[in-house]
Formats: sequence, C-alpha cells, structure tokens
Amino acid sequence: MSPQLTLQTPLQLPPGEIPSYLEQLWSNDQPKNAGANTFCLLVWQPAWIEQELVRIGKIKGPIVGTQNQELIKASQEVVLEENLPISTPPFDSTVISSLSNRNDAQPIEDQRGQHIDAAISALQPRRLITLAPTIKTHNLEALVAAYCPLPEEGSGNSACGDVVVLRGDVNSLHTGLDILTDLLPEDLPSWLWWNGSLDERPEILNQLSSATQRLIIDSAIGDPIHCLDLLQEKIKEGQAINDLNWLRLRNWRESLAMVFDPPTRRDSLEKVVKLDIDIQGKNPVQGLLLAAWLADRLGWQIKSSNSGDLGNIDAIFHRSDGGSVNFSLVPLPVGKPSIHPGEVIGIRMICKPDKSPQKATCVILGAESGECMRLEAGGMASMELVEEVVPTQIDSVEKDVARLLASSRGTTSPLLAAAAPVAAKLLNSAKTSNRKSS
Amino acid sequence: MSMPVINPLRVGLRQERVVAPQCLVIFGASGDLTHRKLVPALFQLFKQRRLPSEFALLGCARRAWTDQYFREKMANALEEDIRENPEAWSQFSKGLFYEPVDLERPSDLIRLGERLEEIDRIRATHNNRTFYLSVAPKFYSNGCRALAEAGLLKDPKRSRIVIEKPFGRDFSSAQSLNRLVQSCGQERQIFRIDHYLGKETVQNILVLRFANSIFEPIWNRNYISNVQITAAETVGVEERAGYYESSGALRDMVQNHLTQMLAITAMEPPGHFDPEAIRNEKAKVLQAARIANEIEPWKCCVRGQYEKGGSKESPLLAYREESGVNPNSTTETYVAMKLFIDNWRWQGVPFYIRTGKRLAKRVSEVVLTFREAPVHLFDAAGGSPTSNQLVLRIQPDEGAEFRFEVKSPGSGMRSRPVEMEFSYDQSFGEPSDEGYVRLLADAMLGDPTLFTRSDEVEAAWRLYTPLLELIEDSPWQLPIHPYESRTWGPASSDALLAKDDLLWRRP
Repeated sequence: MSPQLTLQTPLQLPPGEIPSYLEQLWSNDQPKNAGANTFCLLVWQPAWIEQELVRIGKIKGPIVGTQNQELIKASQEVVLEENLPISTPPFDSTVISSLSNRNDAQPIEDQRGQHIDAAISALQPRRLITLAPTIKTHNLEALVAAYCPLPEEGSGNSACGDVVVLRGDVNSLHTGLDILTDLLPEDLPSWLWWNGSLDERPEILNQLSSATQRLIIDSAIGDPIHCLDLLQEKIKEGQAINDLNWLRLRNWRESLAMVFDPPTRRDSLEKVVKLDIDIQGKNPVQGLLLAAWLADRLGWQIKSSNSGDLGNIDAIFHRSDGGSVNFSLVPLPVGKPSIHPGEVIGIRMICKPDKSPQKATCVILGAESGECMRLEAGGMASMELVEEVVPTQIDSVEKDVARLLASSRGTTSPLLAAAAPVAAKLLNSAKTSNRKSS
Repeated sequence: MSMPVINPLRVGLRQERVVAPQCLVIFGASGDLTHRKLVPALFQLFKQRRLPSEFALLGCARRAWTDQYFREKMANALEEDIRENPEAWSQFSKGLFYEPVDLERPSDLIRLGERLEEIDRIRATHNNRTFYLSVAPKFYSNGCRALAEAGLLKDPKRSRIVIEKPFGRDFSSAQSLNRLVQSCGQERQIFRIDHYLGKETVQNILVLRFANSIFEPIWNRNYISNVQITAAETVGVEERAGYYESSGALRDMVQNHLTQMLAITAMEPPGHFDPEAIRNEKAKVLQAARIANEIEPWKCCVRGQYEKGGSKESPLLAYREESGVNPNSTTETYVAMKLFIDNWRWQGVPFYIRTGKRLAKRVSEVVLTFREAPVHLFDAAGGSPTSNQLVLRIQPDEGAEFRFEVKSPGSGMRSRPVEMEFSYDQSFGEPSDEGYVRLLADAMLGDPTLFTRSDEVEAAWRLYTPLLELIEDSPWQLPIHPYESRTWGPASSDALLAKDDLLWRRP
C-alpha cells in the first residue's frame, strides 16, 4: 500500500477561518457523511533533516515529513561526508547541525501533512493536524483539505477525514497554537505525536500535550536524562503517554518471557545474579528501560549505579531475597546504525540458584545482526545455555505509530509507568556518581 | 521454594483486544449455563481487564428475580473465585442487572427496551448490545423475532445475537431457522456458538497447519492414509436426560463439535486470516464431505448405548436406567462413522469420527496417520514398522505428538517407534481460558471468525442427512449396540475399522 495523498489540492485559508470552514464542510456540504468517528491526530512534524537535505539539494524533495529509504540513505552519506563517527545514527542532531553551514541549492517545496502514511490512513483518522515548523523565517500559514481513503477491496466504507497543516517558523507557530482548541473535536480521542527531539521547544510540547488527551513520544530522540525525566514527569502528572522507544522493546520482552514460559525455568528468575545489556551507540534509554522493566517485574531495588568513561552504566540491584544482581549496560559502536538510537542488540542474564549451582542458567538473546558474540565469551560451560535470536523489526516511525494507534487503549502502560522511574533513577544516580568521582 | 504460578515477564505482553462499551443481555439467565459458564467467563474477562468499565450484564428469564437476587445467585456459583478476588467481584457485580422477561410477551419486550435504555444511561453502554439466547432451542425463532419486532436488532453495528447449539434438528429445520434469523438481522449480527471452536487447541490446528511450512505439503491424500477424530467422555447423561433423549450423540456432538474439528483439519488454507476467508474454506470442505456410503449408511456408521458398568463399589447405571430416560430408549450415546471428502486434497482418504458417553477415558483428539514407507529396509521391533502419526490433543493434556521410527539401540538395524511431544503445560505453564471466555469476547467484539456461518451449519446438517433419515424412517437398519460403561464402545465400532484393516487409536 502506498502513502495516501489528499484528493484535493489543500486550500490555503487564514488560520482563524479554518474551524468554521471545517464545520461547514461536514455539516452542510455532505450531510450524509459526518466524517470518520475515530480519532484526531496532532503531529509535531519538524522534519529538520529532511528540510536541510532538500535545501542543499541532497534530495530532490518535496518535503513530506515521512521516513523513507531515500532520506535514510542521504543522511548516511552526510555522516561520511562530514567525517562524523561511522556509528552516528542517520537522524542524529549532529547530522542536522553539520548541514546548517551548507549553501542553499534549490527552492524548498513543502508538502508536510499532505502525505499520510498508508499504515496511519488505514486507521481512518477523523482529523490529522500537522504542525510544520520551517528552518527559515516564515509567517504562519494554514492549509486544509478533506480526504477519503480509497476503499480497500471488499469494504465499502468511505469514512472520510480532513487534514489541516499549520506551517511557519517556530515562533509564528507558537503564537498560532490557540487555534487548536477549536480544531480538536471534543467527542473524539485526540493524540499528540511529538515526532521530534524531546529537547526542542518544551513550551510547545507542554501546550500541545495539555490540549490533547494522549501523548506519543520517542524517548530515543533527545538528551537521555531529559527524555527519561520528561517521561517520568508526564506519568506522574497522569498524562496518558506512549513511548515508541518502549514499544520497540516488545520483541526483546517477548523473547525473554518465552524463555521463562516453561514452568521448569521459573525458579531461575528468582536467582538472577548478572544482567548484561548491549546497545548500539551511546543513547542508553532503551537499554535502561529494559533493565528497569526486569527490575520491576522481578522485584529488584537499585543499590548503586555509576557510569564509565565509555558511556557504560554499571549498577547493583538488591533482589527481594537479599541477593544481588550485577547489571552492566554497554554501548557498542556498530557499522550500520539503526535509525532508532540506542537500540538493544544483546542481553545476557545469568541465574544461579544458591542451593543447586548445577542448575545455573545463562540466557543469551542477540539481535539478528549478530552483535551478541561479546556476550557469549567465557564462563558458561557449566550452565544450561539458552540462546535465542531476537527478530529485528526495522519499521518506519509511522508504522510504529500506526501500530500504537491501532492497539492501545490510549492509557499509559502500567509496565512503562513502573519502569520509567527506575530507568530515570539508574541514569541519574549513575551520572551523579560519575560527577562525584571526577 | 515455591514456583511462581505466573511467568512475571509474561504479564502485560499479550495484546488482548478490549471489548467496546456494551450491555450483554442473557436470555435464560436463571439456567445452568449462565452461572456455570457464562458469568465465570465474563468475570475472567473482567479480571483480565478486557471488559471496559462501561460494561453491563443484564440477565433475563421468566423468574421474578431482582438485581440483588441475581447478583447473589451468581456470587454463590463463583464462591471460590470471589474469595480470591473479592475486590474484583465487588467492581464487576455492580454491572450485573436482572429483568424478568418472557420473550413471548410483547409488553415484556417493551419493558426490556426501557430497562436497556436505563442501563445505557447508568453504565454508558452507548446502545451497544449483544443478546445471548441461552434458552431451549424451541424458543430461538420466537426469541429472534421478538427482539427484531421490538426494534432491538435494527442497528447492525450496535446489536448482535448469539445462539447456542443445537442450531436446528436437521437440514430443513436448520434452513428454516437460518431464514427466520436472517430475516431478523443481518448475517454479520448472528453468532452461532460452538464452544469447541473456543478451545486453544482447536485454534492451534489452524496455526500448526498454516504457520509452519513443513506440514502443509504432506497434509493431503499423497501422504495421509486416514484421519481419526475422537471426542470421548467418561460421564453419562447426568442432568441432561430431557434434552439428550431428543438429540443423541449424533446431534449433540457430531453435527457440531466433531464436524468443526473435521472442517478445521481438512479445510484449504485461507488467503488471509479473515473471518469470511476462513468460514468460506470451512464451508467448502463440509460441502465436499459425505458419509462413506450414502446409499447404505448402515455400512459406515455404528450407534451404541451405554450399559451398566463400573465396579461393585461404584456401580454405574445403564443409560436406560438413568433418571429422565425412557426405559426403552433408542437414543444413541455413542456413534462412530466413516466419511470421505471429495476434493483434490482428500479424495479416497477415510475420516473416522467417533464420540460417546461413558467411554474408557475423557479425551478429544485428531490423529493423522501417514502412509507407510514404500519399502521396509529394516526389521521392526513390533514386527512391522508403525506408520508415522501426528496426534493433535484437544483435551486433556493439550498439545501434540508425532510418532516416528528410530533405530533401536544395539548392533542390529532394528527400528522402533518413539514420540516427540509438545505440551501446552510444559511449554507455557499457564492454563488456557475456557472456550466461552474467548467466544464471549469475540462475539462482543463483533469478530465472527470462531462462529459458524449459516452455510456451514447447513452443510453440516446435510452431511448427516442420510443417517438422520435412516434413524427416523428405518431405525432397525441402524441398531443400537449396547456397550459396557467405561469401555471403548461397541465391538461393531472396531469392526467398522477392521474392514479397512485399521484399528481405533487407543489414547
């Protein structure tokens, strides 16, 4: 299925006229079709790197705001051209800043908000509002279009929706946000997808997240401490929050759970002595969320945590029976980094029952890329060895969001709510102890 | 150290679908099924957080119960469960209501409509309703008609109707009932329930066949010599004599449960996992099925009835001695038969199915026996090599086993059979939900995949029409063979397979 395009050329209107235009569109012109009774999705869509790449002529454009192979390839080329470390993720902020000094090569055509990923349009959103900040000074402009997904074979439903694009530089966008109150239908669930770094524009993030009921973020993008603190803070405030970085841990959590499904292995879970997690690149958030989930599920408490010079984080957990678990998170450089920074690539978990050491178990899970060789080294000859390969799911961020929209009740996952504070504590105390020792 | 009952890492990983806000209306709520199966299944869904807070259950029957009395009756039935989850029950029971309704009295239906509106207001159930007919089959048609006339089925998106088995007594009555039910609502609103389809292990047949590439190439007449489907019970007729006397094993078990297992075992792969795609394939395979000898059905079918049995200490009554059973009853408590499926995949492969009460063991299974190796190169420990068998265990000991020949240890080259096993218990360690948990959730979600469509029901009845007609017109041609309780049925059932040089598998 290819991305869905709006069926009419978007109409440019003064921002203040959009609510009444839309109201008229659905109530008068098409009395039999009041639009899909689904949800409203508000997207913060900066697409900074795509804007830069189009501006310098590295890719042809127009700017569409969705992740695609051309964009990834061009970003990877920039990493090489700018002599950035080879393990730099393609959409890293260093890639963006390295481009800002290059000269304009072509005019920018901006079609953000008009190309709806097929996975999302299949869910028939009632209203898609795209906030498209520009890299250059730009007054606020508003575009609007109705769309009807082409019916799939066999389905005669024509649940239509509309698309609103608010485009301008960050300051003009910020001042124009008041219009959103009239654009979010009260009777439908509304989601905010913050499709950018969590470091940028906290005042806009706060304003938008308070206007919507449900928030989607990606804690892999931004300063790790800030991302985890923000996640924790929003959970504490009672904001319904969904984290794509957490969502992408699903295969790891499923694979670990599968290892311990047979009742004969359940005892081992109470006697974990060592946990190693390898991640690619230096962003530790996903690895910490995985460790925190395990700590929460198995009743471990953090005793100490510190970080090393190479970005590794070591911690000791107390088990509920008084034993200890040594935890180590190791960042590894990889040749072909994922588009999602800090993805987990390997886990080793060693369980040693005190009274029957012969029942020791070593579980090694490795990503399909085969980066787990390091974890296989040494010391496990006397243990039951469980080795599994975890399927790597390299989906675009739009597919992740569609999966979330299709499956989530919109509330915060209780497991994420429990894991986020533990992960934040692990990182904060590791950084604090590192500062003290230096 | 005690073993954790639940895998702590498994919690929250299953992405179960959550039922939309709605009111489930059970007609026949004072009956057995409601407190034994339906309400426990709903409470289970509630504990699994799969019911929304905007959910209500309205029990309806002719008895003049109150909400409070209904809640107490249900609480009594769930005593043990409630003791372990008092908080959950306290929450759940707030959504239980009762309304005395006689489906044949229009004024009761008007009152029911008003009560539903009131519940919509109290519980925010948004006019979304599932009507469950847990009433005697003779009330199905009037029940549907009454609901339709009261306007309670008019919104196909917000109203569904669930109908228990048996759906008709034969092909023509099933056809009439289908016509009537379809005149009350659209087919997509009608959920004909067969609780066997709610079993994990029955659904697993689909996964085993269509999620693995190794089985499908050999799942056909080229490799499979015969298929046996067994559903054996150790219990007798118990409290159900009234119903059972008029149905017998053929209507009670074969036409629905065993036929569904047959359809899932023999169907073609659907194009995609979609309710209609699956039901199309099931209907097609049932339309291609026939009893082995339609001209002389007595040659491919055996009926039996259990006799006394047990021991001196715990004797077991014969069927005709059971309370509520006619002392001269000719109702079968056992039936075995041979079928064929006339299509490219199964032409010439016999399907043997059997079911009975008071048999030696409680077991339901599907056994696929593969053709023998074309040349016997080795001596076999048992004289001749055993055929490979794939056994799909539906219940108990849910799982599967595959039997194949290996070299017997020693200096010679003798072969002997061994078994490779998969057990749900050992692999997953958690009991699977009762079939009703899955099916109630699916009905409320409007997902018909595991429910039988009108053409499937009709094809299933048509398949057994020669037998039903024979029993009706010339019962002496299909006599009842007595068998001792807690044995494997009448000897003539063994003879049915002996004619083909086969034996029933002894589970």
